[in-house]
Amino acid sequence: MFDRALLARRDLFKIGGLAAATVSLGACASTKPSGGGQGSAGTTLRVSLASDATTLDPQKQGDLPSMNVLINVFDTLTVRDTDDKLSGGLAERWESKDDKTWRFHLRKNVTFHNGEPCDAAAVAYSIERLINPDTQSPIVELRLVTGAKVIDTHTVDLVTKEPDPILPAKLSLFGGVIVPPKHIKEKGEKAFAEHPIGTGPFTFEQWQRDSRITLKANPDYWNGKPAVEQLVFTIMPDPSSSLAALQSGEVDIVTGLTPDAAQQLGDATGFKVVTRPGVRTFFVSLDTEEGPLKDKRVRQALNHALDVDTLITSVLNGAAERTPTLIPKQAFGFDPAIQPYQHDVAKAKSLLAAAGHPDGFALKLSSSTADKDIAQAISGQLAKVGVRAEVSLLDPATFKGRLVSDNRKALGAMYFVGNSGWTMDASSNLQSFVRHDRRQSRWNNPEADALIDKEEQSVDPEVRQEAFTELQKMLIEESPFLYLYQASILYAVSDKVQWESNANGTLAMANAKLATS
Amino acid sequence: MTGFVVRRIGHTLLVLFCVATVSFFIVRLAGDPVQQMLPPEATAEQEATLRAGLGFDRPLPEQYVSYMTGLLSLDFGQSVFFHRPAFEVIMERLPLTVDLAVAALAFTLVVSIPAGIVAAVRRGSATDTSVMASVLVGQSTPAFWVGILLILIFAVNLQWLPASGTGSPAHLVLPAITLGLYSAAMIARLLRSSLIDVLGEDYIRTARAKGLSGFRAVTSHGLRNASLPVVTVVGLEVGSLLGGAILTEQVFSWPGIGRLTVEAITYRDYPLMQATVLFLAAVFVVVNLIVDLSYALLDPRVRLS
Repeated sequence: MFDRALLARRDLFKIGGLAAATVSLGACASTKPSGGGQGSAGTTLRVSLASDATTLDPQKQGDLPSMNVLINVFDTLTVRDTDDKLSGGLAERWESKDDKTWRFHLRKNVTFHNGEPCDAAAVAYSIERLINPDTQSPIVELRLVTGAKVIDTHTVDLVTKEPDPILPAKLSLFGGVIVPPKHIKEKGEKAFAEHPIGTGPFTFEQWQRDSRITLKANPDYWNGKPAVEQLVFTIMPDPSSSLAALQSGEVDIVTGLTPDAAQQLGDATGFKVVTRPGVRTFFVSLDTEEGPLKDKRVRQALNHALDVDTLITSVLNGAAERTPTLIPKQAFGFDPAIQPYQHDVAKAKSLLAAAGHPDGFALKLSSSTADKDIAQAISGQLAKVGVRAEVSLLDPATFKGRLVSDNRKALGAMYFVGNSGWTMDASSNLQSFVRHDRRQSRWNNPEADALIDKEEQSVDPEVRQEAFTELQKMLIEESPFLYLYQASILYAVSDKVQWESNANGTLAMANAKLATS
Repeated sequence: MTGFVVRRIGHTLLVLFCVATVSFFIVRLAGDPVQQMLPPEATAEQEATLRAGLGFDRPLPEQYVSYMTGLLSLDFGQSVFFHRPAFEVIMERLPLTVDLAVAALAFTLVVSIPAGIVAAVRRGSATDTSVMASVLVGQSTPAFWVGILLILIFAVNLQWLPASGTGSPAHLVLPAITLGLYSAAMIARLLRSSLIDVLGEDYIRTARAKGLSGFRAVTSHGLRNASLPVVTVVGLEVGSLLGGAILTEQVFSWPGIGRLTVEAITYRDYPLMQATVLFLAAVFVVVNLIVDLSYALLDPRVRLS
């Protein structure tokens, strides 16, 4: 049954909250235990996810929901620590042997959950399996890797066809997961996907699809046994329900909250909403090749017209941080000296007048329905300088389809978009949008192209930082995008939980603690 | 009767063939699963490699023929996102969907039949008015609002029942009520009006005149005759309930067919979209067939030929 009627979920929760308040006034608080039915809370940590993993074969998925589960069962060659620094995972250290070879020195005495050793051969097998087209892997980061060479039991070389300066960073998630060769060969791919075997802090127990994934602490974990005995991911697509489940004691952490959903928890005691800096960066892409946006002064005017701080406080409830360009502050390459555009309506108007648009003009601003509030607020701010941006909303899948289509005008003159940038290297933030021949680029500037080549092809951090600094200056001056913010990561936790998320937003729970009261 | 059944099965197969064909082509207008699978930074070359690996680069007629041939052996193709046979993915959700549908239907009937009868028999009374007012509320309240309200009352405040998820009969209660509320209201209203018509018939007066109690006259003579339209609607509701209650499943984190359908569409997972559409069509066609057959049992005036 396609349930009838549609109401904004936010409004609904407010009404629901009122009703609940009435009920709690009328009825005595019950002392009955929660009906959670998933075992005692003792040392079981229960985490809600908004969507389920698609598959538990780590090399056949490329989405965060799957990765969030898998990061607890598998290890990657490198990891981001809680300070967002790149540090050793299964590889203790690494170095660049030459422009096209990265050498990884592996941690010793690491075994998979089935006892199989995790050595250079396993790493080589994993990399080769990932880049083999038969695997049909949606993971794209290792596109420059041509193969892996075992040097000795604990040393392996990754060879690339062109220099890849950020390969170690790319191995901190999806592409860096190491899988057990012997197990996969013996049991087959299907069995592996049903019952994944990794080297990670938790072992796989059970997966009830779209409902629950149960993991158990791995007592032999090389980095020490996790603090909780059991880790249960519960799939709860509706934020109101997952917050209700938190309040009724059925889950301990609610992840993947949006700022408006997070408000619903209000000031309930025993729970809190945690805001952590994230790296997902949002901006508006401008079509610099056609129409009024061809003129740099118009593009600059639009950046001056935006009041990003107000967008952050009023639409996102403060759960974001301003970015001067496309690069989040944690990323390598970010230059703190680069100043963001000042909000200056008068200047914006004079720039528009100088460009021959004293009365502004009209164009389209596309966004996914998921970002409708922010798109509408942007449109409202642009209207103050006379630019009438008609918001065109598309469902997320259609939006994505148009974003990656060969027609670079498929989303119109302006579109609002986010970029995950989980490698925390500016290269990832710029790669698809700047160089003129990249898929989402709508800017043709040979100087910028040359700078991109420089940072992408050098393994020398100094050379790269110089290129990034120049690029950020150009991005400000040429203004091919409207620069907005990097969104924070929001989750709600019960007071019993001690855990902090990474800036890359993954849910590695090995260090999570649960107070037993 | 046998001829009727054989003909109807023939029709059913024809309908399913058409649905399979139309859905095959329509899902391909919706966009491409490869675009949804890969991150935006994927290169055109990576996209082409994956598309070829999944077989979506083959000519459309060739894909169509291999899909239709596969259907003969219940092979709906491999779900692109789940990397498993689409049929297996659906069958895995079916038991929970059936659980919820049966519970919701039970709730619907337990509430709607007495309510409909009472309202019809006491037509115009305060009881009738209050039943009809409740029906109006039940029919006009959106499922997810009812769902959240029930969660807040029974899970968060009273803590009698789990807020969401599956695992025990207690988990079924709130989603079944949420899902059944609309159908219960609709069927109560329908039964009332149908029964009011029947109760005015001569044979009811005759039944009463020959000394049957009011209750017996209503249940054995009235109800059976009033049930034809109700059975039709209940049949359609069973189809809807099995087809998945997307919002109810969403609110109660219930892993049923409804959410699966939405996921398939979101991912543009062609094989899974085709399989869910075909599954839903099959459910409706079969339920309709059963409803038609039941007419003959309920009403001897109906002849199936």
